[in-house]
Amino acid sequence: MSGIDTLNIAKDGLLSHQTAISLTGTNVTNANTAGYSRQRAVFSTTEQSVEIIGIERIYDHFIGVQINEQTNNLGYSEAKKDALDRIEMIFNESDAGGINELLSEFWGAWEGLSANPSGQAERLTLVSVSQSLTSLFRSSGDDLLAAQNDANARVSSLVGEVNDYAADIADVNNKIAQSVGSENDSGINTLKDRQETLLASLAEIVDFHYVRNADNSVSVFLSNGMPVVDGGQSWELDVVADDQTSFYNVVFADDPTVEINTSLTGGSLAAYLEVRDTTAVGYINSLDSLAAALASEVNTQHGLGYDLNQDAGGAFFYFDVNPEVQEARYLKVSTDIVSDVNKIAASATVDGDGENATSISSLQNELTMNSNTATFGAYYSALVGQVGQDAAYVNRSYKHDSDLLTQLINKRDVTSGVSIDEEMINLIKFQTGYNASARLFVAAEELSDTLLNLIR
Amino acid sequence: MVMRVSENVKYSTIVDNMFGVQDSYNQLVEKVASLKEINRPSDDAVGMTRVLNLRESIASIEQYSRNIENSQSWLTITESKLSAAGDLLVSAREVAVGQATATGDAQTRSTEAETIQQLIDEMLTLANAKYEGRYLFSGAKSTDTAPFSSTGRSAAEIGTASSAGANTFDGTVTSSGTYTGSANKTYVAKITDWVEGTRTATYNVSSDGGETWTTTGATFVLPDGGSVATGDIGDGIVLTFEDSGAAEPAADDVFYVNALVAGYYSGNGEELSVNIGEDTPFAYSISGEEAFTDEGDGTVDIFGVLTSLKQALESNDQDGIADLIDDLEAASGQISANISKCGTRTNRLELASTNMTDTKLNLTELISVAEDADVSEVITQLSMKQIALKASYSVAAQIGRLTILDFLR
Repeated sequence: MSGIDTLNIAKDGLLSHQTAISLTGTNVTNANTAGYSRQRAVFSTTEQSVEIIGIERIYDHFIGVQINEQTNNLGYSEAKKDALDRIEMIFNESDAGGINELLSEFWGAWEGLSANPSGQAERLTLVSVSQSLTSLFRSSGDDLLAAQNDANARVSSLVGEVNDYAADIADVNNKIAQSVGSENDSGINTLKDRQETLLASLAEIVDFHYVRNADNSVSVFLSNGMPVVDGGQSWELDVVADDQTSFYNVVFADDPTVEINTSLTGGSLAAYLEVRDTTAVGYINSLDSLAAALASEVNTQHGLGYDLNQDAGGAFFYFDVNPEVQEARYLKVSTDIVSDVNKIAASATVDGDGENATSISSLQNELTMNSNTATFGAYYSALVGQVGQDAAYVNRSYKHDSDLLTQLINKRDVTSGVSIDEEMINLIKFQTGYNASARLFVAAEELSDTLLNLIR
Repeated sequence: MVMRVSENVKYSTIVDNMFGVQDSYNQLVEKVASLKEINRPSDDAVGMTRVLNLRESIASIEQYSRNIENSQSWLTITESKLSAAGDLLVSAREVAVGQATATGDAQTRSTEAETIQQLIDEMLTLANAKYEGRYLFSGAKSTDTAPFSSTGRSAAEIGTASSAGANTFDGTVTSSGTYTGSANKTYVAKITDWVEGTRTATYNVSSDGGETWTTTGATFVLPDGGSVATGDIGDGIVLTFEDSGAAEPAADDVFYVNALVAGYYSGNGEELSVNIGEDTPFAYSISGEEAFTDEGDGTVDIFGVLTSLKQALESNDQDGIADLIDDLEAASGQISANISKCGTRTNRLELASTNMTDTKLNLTELISVAEDADVSEVITQLSMKQIALKASYSVAAQIGRLTILDFLR
């Protein structure tokens, strides 16, 4: 044992503590960096000295996997909530002026006309109420379609994001693979954090599973087993317009004929696909069948009556599109009737009574909808109820998913997050260690001095 | 083991809790502002559906109530016109009784004949009275001409045949025949099929203005440029079609003709009706036929009796005058019967109206229970949330202050 050895020990102590102190600095400065996992210098004894054998990244892989899964759930429910919030506004009947109220006014206007079948004021009122009703049908139909188109547009932009993330993950994979052998470097820990963040971002959009390769790169597969990222390589997704619906289908860019919509089962992409292909379609169909049945029932009864010119009643409603499709967004009041209210067939006979108006008004109580089980009004209320229930359901699952994710993120932060208090105490600890090492240096120097003075 | 509390955990806990309180605070604020428990369907989907159904019921009740009010006004006017007519008949009877004895002579009877003429004129004004532009006593016939005329028809008449405005056929159609029916009716013929090759039209006929149809399968062949008469389309009425050489008849072409029996009345025996409840049609009009004629439900031709009385007075026919006293009696009876009919109907309307008001009140209450916010409860909750919100703000303000840094020198 020589004085030189003591000097070396002191040097190792100084260097190790220096490293630990600078790592504390890294931790403190990244205290608010999202996805940052704190790092710790691992001290180890060598012979009689000390060395830093690694820089440990404090991270619980299992929580990471859970966070990805929950992010995926939240991505789905958040996207669905976003779409349904918008659709719900179309059906918001909590205030006056909705389809429900205008339907009631429409039947009321027929009743009013039945009491004074030749009255011009009653006829004009009926036409004006009918126009408000059809215009609301049209705008509701248009709004639903817009919501559907919006979901479609999002599918396209989300596919772009998936491609960006996949390319980034492949890029990070490459860098990590290149740094094999330098695991003790703080730089590789940063790359791993980046990898986790990218996986979580991807999970928000699509559901996938991934495997970690020997070189610490990850391979990402869609739920149908198709790879999106494999090590340093990524495969691009693309959208192509469907032949029939002209909505986007998701495909792999290198295999554009095979649509993979159904393989996307989670995340915001699946949510928008579902809203576009199922949820919105269901509401649109319901509204369309209401408009179609209303037009057909009223037209049929109207045709049995006579107008003020003794003509048999023509169509009261029509669908303003060629060729005619019975969709709510095209529903209009016959232009003949709008330009000449005398063409409203209020009478059951050529003598001009009001009985046909009464018959039309009575349609409101007929069980015409839903295989003859519901009136027009009840059918529409049920539709509003359905929308409300769906919206309430996604609101609940959104809240649940987001609470759960918060809990998981907190759980991760409990392990991986930086605590300033802890770092400060560590700082004191390492500073003390550094000071002690420095003192050791002085002591070793004094020892050498003593020895040299002996010789003099 | 003690749990580590990292910086992110510290702050995110505070922020999440604050958002949670703010969210429920905002929901309560919305309820207080709108005074409604349900502000969008997802707040309570079942409740919303219920509210919509209830609102629909209220809207139809409001319409039924308006129908009831209109019918009440109509009946009130009808009743007053009828009782005025009853008074006229009493005056006529006084004249008849006075002049049916030997005390009357040609001079007085001639004077009284003029009185009766004035009564007839007055009666005519009453029978042709209008309410809101519509004749009270024309049955279910909305027409611009008055239902009663001062000069009676001595025999049945078949009116001019008319074509509906939108008919394809642009030839002429005329009516002929002798009307054998017992009441005023509108006959309608509707072409159901036209075969161009054989120039054959198939048509259906209706004797109630086109409401119900008799499928006769009857046909006529219209020669090019010529004319053809149909068979009897009902009660002796015949239509003659004359081709113009241009547009031929086509399916759904409608031709109609008014057939009138002898007498003073040109309306029909139908009643006007409106719904005063779900599928509850209520006839609110009294037809002129029933009140003033001896056709259909009526038994006394009031204008006929008065005219006979006038003629008997003019011709100084004491026995004739005496014979008419019973008829005048019967005429008064007919008017009274219709007045009491008005009364019965008004009573029914009043019952229905009370019922409607009660139902509406109940429904309004049900809606209120379903959608209105309990203000006192919401406000209590709101102040509770306010305290929670203040607490979370105060904690948030403290959070950065407590750190070991403050204790290091």
